[in-house]
Amino acid sequence: MSELQNKTMQEKDLKKVSAHQKVGKIVVKVLLYTFLIVMALIVIFPFYFMLISSVKTLPEYQRSVPTLWPEFIRLRNYIDAFNTGNLGQLFVNTMIVGIVSTILSLVITVLSAFAFARLEFKGKNALFAALLGTMMIPGELFTITNYATVNSLGWMNTYTVLIVPFLVSVFYIYLLRQNFMQIPNELYLAAKVDGTSDIKYLWKVMIPLALPTLISITILKMMGAWNSYVWPRLVANEEEYQLITNGLRNAFTDAEGNANIPVQMAAVAIVSFPLFLVFIFLRKYIMKGVSRSGIKG
Amino acid sequence: MKVELQNLTKIFPSRNKKSGEEVIAVNNFTFTIPDGKLIGLLGPSGCGKSTTLYMISGLQKPSGGKIFFGDDDVTELAAENRGVGLVFQNYALYPHMTVKQNILFPLQNLKGADKLSKDEMLDRAYNAAKLVQIDELMDRKPSELSGGQQQRVAIARALVKMPKVLLLDEPLSNLDARLRLQTREEIRRIQKETGITTIFVTHDQEEAMSISDMIVVMKLGVVQQIGKPQEVYDDPTNLFVAKFLGTPPINVFEGEVKGEKLYIGDAAVLDVAGVDDQPVTVGIRPEGFVLDPDGPLTCNLNSVEVMGRDVSVVSTHAASVNPTVRSIIDADNQVATGATVRYSLKPHKVFLFSKADESRIYFGVKSDG
Amino acid sequence: MVESKHKWKAWLYLAPAIILLIVFTVWPIINTVRMAFLEGYNQTAVVGGATYSFGIGNFTKVLEYKGFLTCLGNTMLLCVLTVPLSTILALLIAVCLNAIKPLQRLLQTIFFLPYVTNSIAIGMVFAAMFNMVGTAFGGENELIITSGIINNIIEFFGGVPINWINSGSSYAANMVVMVVYIVWNALPFKILILLGGLQSINKQYYDAAKVDGTPGWRVFSRITVPLLSPMLAYVVITGFIGGFKEYSSIVGIFGEDMGPAGEPGKLNTMVGFIYDSLVTQQGRASAAALILFGIIFVVTMLNMYVSKKKTHY
Repeated sequence: MSELQNKTMQEKDLKKVSAHQKVGKIVVKVLLYTFLIVMALIVIFPFYFMLISSVKTLPEYQRSVPTLWPEFIRLRNYIDAFNTGNLGQLFVNTMIVGIVSTILSLVITVLSAFAFARLEFKGKNALFAALLGTMMIPGELFTITNYATVNSLGWMNTYTVLIVPFLVSVFYIYLLRQNFMQIPNELYLAAKVDGTSDIKYLWKVMIPLALPTLISITILKMMGAWNSYVWPRLVANEEEYQLITNGLRNAFTDAEGNANIPVQMAAVAIVSFPLFLVFIFLRKYIMKGVSRSGIKG
Repeated sequence: MKVELQNLTKIFPSRNKKSGEEVIAVNNFTFTIPDGKLIGLLGPSGCGKSTTLYMISGLQKPSGGKIFFGDDDVTELAAENRGVGLVFQNYALYPHMTVKQNILFPLQNLKGADKLSKDEMLDRAYNAAKLVQIDELMDRKPSELSGGQQQRVAIARALVKMPKVLLLDEPLSNLDARLRLQTREEIRRIQKETGITTIFVTHDQEEAMSISDMIVVMKLGVVQQIGKPQEVYDDPTNLFVAKFLGTPPINVFEGEVKGEKLYIGDAAVLDVAGVDDQPVTVGIRPEGFVLDPDGPLTCNLNSVEVMGRDVSVVSTHAASVNPTVRSIIDADNQVATGATVRYSLKPHKVFLFSKADESRIYFGVKSDG
Repeated sequence: MVESKHKWKAWLYLAPAIILLIVFTVWPIINTVRMAFLEGYNQTAVVGGATYSFGIGNFTKVLEYKGFLTCLGNTMLLCVLTVPLSTILALLIAVCLNAIKPLQRLLQTIFFLPYVTNSIAIGMVFAAMFNMVGTAFGGENELIITSGIINNIIEFFGGVPINWINSGSSYAANMVVMVVYIVWNALPFKILILLGGLQSINKQYYDAAKVDGTPGWRVFSRITVPLLSPMLAYVVITGFIGGFKEYSSIVGIFGEDMGPAGEPGKLNTMVGFIYDSLVTQQGRASAAALILFGIIFVVTMLNMYVSKKKTHY
């Protein structure tokens, strides 16, 4: 009799434990999603704020009880922003600098990475190690001398000054070299036997195989031009050569903080829009490139 | 602890949503594992043996059926509440902890009434380590151990909390041949010493045969046969089981039964009482051949491999399904080196299988002596 | 590797990179050290024929200079606040993301979004959010038309609005804004790296822990964190390096004055100091750059030493 009782007790215990398990699991899931969704909302809030503010009228924006959705959508803010900031000129400048420097940078990077990955020459390893060593030094240290250099070269306020000093990225050379090294050497030997030239081999075999890395580099380089601020501010102050970020900061800032914020937000949205497009369509390549680099821009 | 599986079923939803085809990993598995025995779950990869093991551990939920530990229904119970010890195929030793910390880890999770003092924990860790003979290695990291040593640590970690059931997933697959032999005996010894009901999964029939009290042969989620290793070997229920067990593997021929006689090719090789006339698949164990100058089965001789105790004769036959026919003969026998070799057959080493569903066709053996 | 018949070819391929590196990387390294050790060096004056004597005056002057100490203090404080905060938050988010299935990709995308932004532009958004619009705060008959969305939210929950970034705002309030913005900006990269790390941890460790009845927090502290420690170390090291070079986020919020209206330089950083001195005081800028390099080097080595001790497998 007592045995039977014992058994039913145990059965109840087990039932309790499994019920407990289920409740625990649900509670954990709810907590997880709540935390993640709250964090996600915080993360996207600034974007939301930027967008709704950019289409508000100034009086609506300045209300003490803010509206979550604009009562009247004022797209004129965008036109005002475009005109006040002379964003068209800045956009063209930035595109010229971005495209030219990306193309040149890719050529230089591919050639160097090829030499380091496939060719044999004296001092190769020492040279490569020295290059990697320079990656440890903060870029600001170079800027001081580079400023003087471009000044004495008479490059101030030209496209050259915005493009040339940053054409070589040791990191990209490293990244691409690693990629090239994974391509079996036999392919190169076979090409040599067939009398294929280095350049043709590079173009026909290595570049297609390393394409994802090259795309990552291209995107990061373009984003770098779009977002660069410090160097252009130093060396290209004339509006003719200003880049978009500088123009944005200069044209829409008011020391008193009383600027027409809806127009300012419209300008910010204009500048951010191409980045979002890139993000939506090329997210995979960016994330791949970033997780290997950890360098912004 | 007795482990009972009732109609255990696991269905995986298809990975490709469009094709919509489900995978039945385990189909309607019913079996009671007696207390204190060592059971081998045996089958080729993808047969559902590991899934069965994971369902018993609680890491995977069955789609249907029930699991009992003793008299308790544990089907709905999560892994942590089942009190099982699990040894993973690649051991899953925590790489950042020493051997000692690895073994102590399960004990440190105990709560409430089960909570142990530090000394008790160390005591039990050292006892478990001694049992698997790694007590000298307690301060090493897993990366500093050989495969065999890691395996022992994994077993010690599973044993230290005194599980009701010990589960081993392919315990020997990551070891080299010599260690495998040694370790499987070790597993047998540990199981005997602790008396814990132990279930292990393997695709290696030799491994399963050599140490298990009972083996379960599975194919595509369906249990084919359950029994003592020797029984299953001597009396397979279908062609799959016959082919899966035994090294060298069983020789398979296309044959035909006519007038209660078994024909392979044109030769009547064996009397098979009680079998209707039909084409059949014939399985003959390598040790089922007897060298006989007047024997009915004539094969073309390829080569003779002397292996010390035995001689392995490799030959070919037109009706053989495999490229070669391999027989094992006692080394005392003289194998004539000619173009052909002739055999008579041991009736209890010959199995007939239906062409239709590969099931066994039993025949009566005349006890003529 | 191929023994090329024409070794000059390799050098030909490398020539553009090497020439540019010599001019814009190697020479600056040498020159920066040279300028740092020439007392009160000024490039413009050199052209006019001035000469400078060798000495460590630049370093001592930099350290005595009050502006520099403010910059150093601001930079250090930002590092100490933002690196642990963003790392812990990123770790939590990554662990949670790794534990869910539905919505995982969507949420992951959202968390990565701030990475692809212009730090100046979004800095302006943050400035607007924390901004106060109206007459000067604290004066008589003040009329606050709007106090910025953040203050609106604070008021909604019954709090008192705070002057975050406008004229007369407190250092603590400024710091809060900076920290919020920098952490927001730093999260995506850290989440990406940590989530990648989490996904590469063998699932069997978790199964093993589960069979052993390990409670969640113990799985986290004894298994997840140790196995993730190489990625954590990486994220912390890059976080510190980035933190010591903090500059453009502050420009984004406060403008090039690096402080609230009326208090320029209040929130200046090491890099800001270097840029301020760069045009006319190259000796001072060089000394500051070398100090920055020294700090980054020491902190990186320290981090690596600690993480080596903690992650030995």
